[in-house]
Amino acid sequence: MNETETMKMAEFVPVMKTSELPEAGKTVVEVGDRIVALFHVSGTFWALDDLCTHDGGPLAEGQLDGHTIACPRHGAKFDIRDGRALTMPATQPTVAHEVKVEGDQVLIRLNEP
Amino acid sequence: MIMTRCEPNWLTDLRSGAWQAFERMPLPDSKAENWRRTDLRLFRFDRFPLRQPAAAEGCGPLPEALLAEGVRLAGQLRSRNGQPIESLLDEKWASRGVVFEALDTAAVQRESLVRPYLTDRIVHPTADKFAALHSACWSGGTLLYVPRGVVIDEPLHVLSAMSEGGTDFGRTIVVLEAGAEATLLTETASDARDGSGLHCGAIEIHVGPRAKLRFVNLQNWGTGVWHFGHQKAVLAEGAELQWTVGALGARLAQVEQQVVLRGRGAEAQVNGVMFTEGKQHLVYNTHQHHEQPDCHSDLLYKGALQDKSRLVWRGMIKVDRDAQKTNAYQRNDNLVLSDHARADSIPGLEIEADDVRCSHGATAGRVDDEQIFYAQNRGLTRKEAIRMVVTGFFQQVFDRITIESVREALGEAIRRRVRDFV
Repeated sequence: MNETETMKMAEFVPVMKTSELPEAGKTVVEVGDRIVALFHVSGTFWALDDLCTHDGGPLAEGQLDGHTIACPRHGAKFDIRDGRALTMPATQPTVAHEVKVEGDQVLIRLNEP
Repeated sequence: MIMTRCEPNWLTDLRSGAWQAFERMPLPDSKAENWRRTDLRLFRFDRFPLRQPAAAEGCGPLPEALLAEGVRLAGQLRSRNGQPIESLLDEKWASRGVVFEALDTAAVQRESLVRPYLTDRIVHPTADKFAALHSACWSGGTLLYVPRGVVIDEPLHVLSAMSEGGTDFGRTIVVLEAGAEATLLTETASDARDGSGLHCGAIEIHVGPRAKLRFVNLQNWGTGVWHFGHQKAVLAEGAELQWTVGALGARLAQVEQQVVLRGRGAEAQVNGVMFTEGKQHLVYNTHQHHEQPDCHSDLLYKGALQDKSRLVWRGMIKVDRDAQKTNAYQRNDNLVLSDHARADSIPGLEIEADDVRCSHGATAGRVDDEQIFYAQNRGLTRKEAIRMVVTGFFQQVFDRITIESVREALGEAIRRRVRDFV
C-alpha cells in the first residue's frame, strides 16, 4: 500500500446528510473506488462493503431485519455492525467501515480487509 | 461524430442505427448470468471522450510491444486511441493478395471486400449497450484477409495503444479463405501501467475450409482501463484455430469469447493465461459451440491472482443435435496467491447430441508451502521459489502455445508481476 492510499484511508469522508436516510433505511454510497452499503438502525449509522462474500451480491438490495442484512441472491446474512457472516452460504465476513456523525453529516472512513 | 467520418452511406447508416440502440439500451442487467459478477456501478460513459484527437497530436512514443520482440514480421499495424499510426505489410504478401491494414481505411477503399463482413456480422452489433457503442463508434481496427491457398509463414503483429483517459473502439476482422494459413499477434497497451481509459471492442474471425489460424490476443491495458469485448470465431469444414488469450491489464474486463465449429471436422484450441493484481476484476465468459459432427474443441484457461483481485471464468460447451462425434473439453485452473483474491470457475455443458465426448474441470488452490520449503532448502529465496511455482503452474498452457515469442513474453510479464505475498 502506498502513502497516498494510507492517507486516504485515514480520512473520514462525508457521504450524506442524516436526514437523507430514514430510520431502518439502507442505501449505497460511493467512497473512493468502493461501493459502500450504509444502514440506519436504532439511531445509529453502520457501513459495510456492498459485497456478499459468497457470490459478490449487492447487500444493500437485500432485506434489512434489525442489525441483519440478507443478500438478495442466496440469502446469506451479515451483521451490519461488524460485517460478520451469520448464515450460510457466506462463511467469510464482509468489510465493515467506520461511520461517525458530525452535526447533520454522515462520514465514513474506509477499512481494508 | 458519425457524420464527420466521411464514410459511405451504408456504413454511416449502420453506425447511426447502432447509436440509436446504444441510447435506447440500459446497462446490462446485473441479474443476467453473464453480468452478475461484474459491478458497473462505478462506471460512467461520460468520463471518456467518444471523439479522439488525431493520433499524432501531443503523443509520445508508443508503449512497449511484448509479443513481437525479436520476431521477423510479415506486417505490422500500430494505433493509438483507435487512430491508425502505421501500417506495414511485406510486398511479397501484398502481391499475393493479402490485405493487412486498418479496418476503417479498408471499409472505404475496399468496399466490395469488407462490406459483407460489416453488414452481416458474426458478433451481434447490439448484443448489449457496450456492443452497440462499439458498433456506432468503432475506428481504426484491423483487417487481415488471406486469399485462398496463401500460406503466410511469418507472424503479423498489431499494437493498439491508449493514452491516459483515452478510448479505443478497435475492431479486428480476420478472414482466411480456403486452405490459407496465418499467424496474427495482437496486443494492447496503455502509456502508463496504471493508465485509465475505456475499450469497447470486437474481434470477428472467419476461418475458411481447411484454413489454419494461430491468433494471439494479449490484453495488457493499464490497470485503470474498463475493457468490454465481444470476440467470436467461426470455423468452416476442416478449419483449425489456435486462439491464445492473455489477460494482464484492465481495472475491469468483461469479455464474451465464442468459438463456433460450423463445418465438419473443425478443430479449435483455446488457451488462456491470466494474471491479476491490485483490485483488478476480470470476467471471461467462453462459449464453445459445436454445430456440426466430428469437431474437436479444447479450452484451457489458467489464472493466477494476487492482492485483492478477482477472476471469473464461466465456460459453456454447447453441442447441437446434429453435432455427433463431438469431442470437447474445457478446463480452468486458478492459483490464488493472497488471502483476499478470489477466483470463480463456472463450467457448463449443454448437449443435445447423444454420441459425444464432452468433459470439463476446474481447480482453485494456493501455493503449496511444502514446495516453497523444499525449494528454499535448495538455496532459492522465498520469492524465487514462489516465482518458480507460479511459472510451473502456467507451464501446461505455455506448452500448448507454439509461438516462442508469445510464450516468452507472457512468462516474463508474469514473472515480473509476482510478489512475495504468499
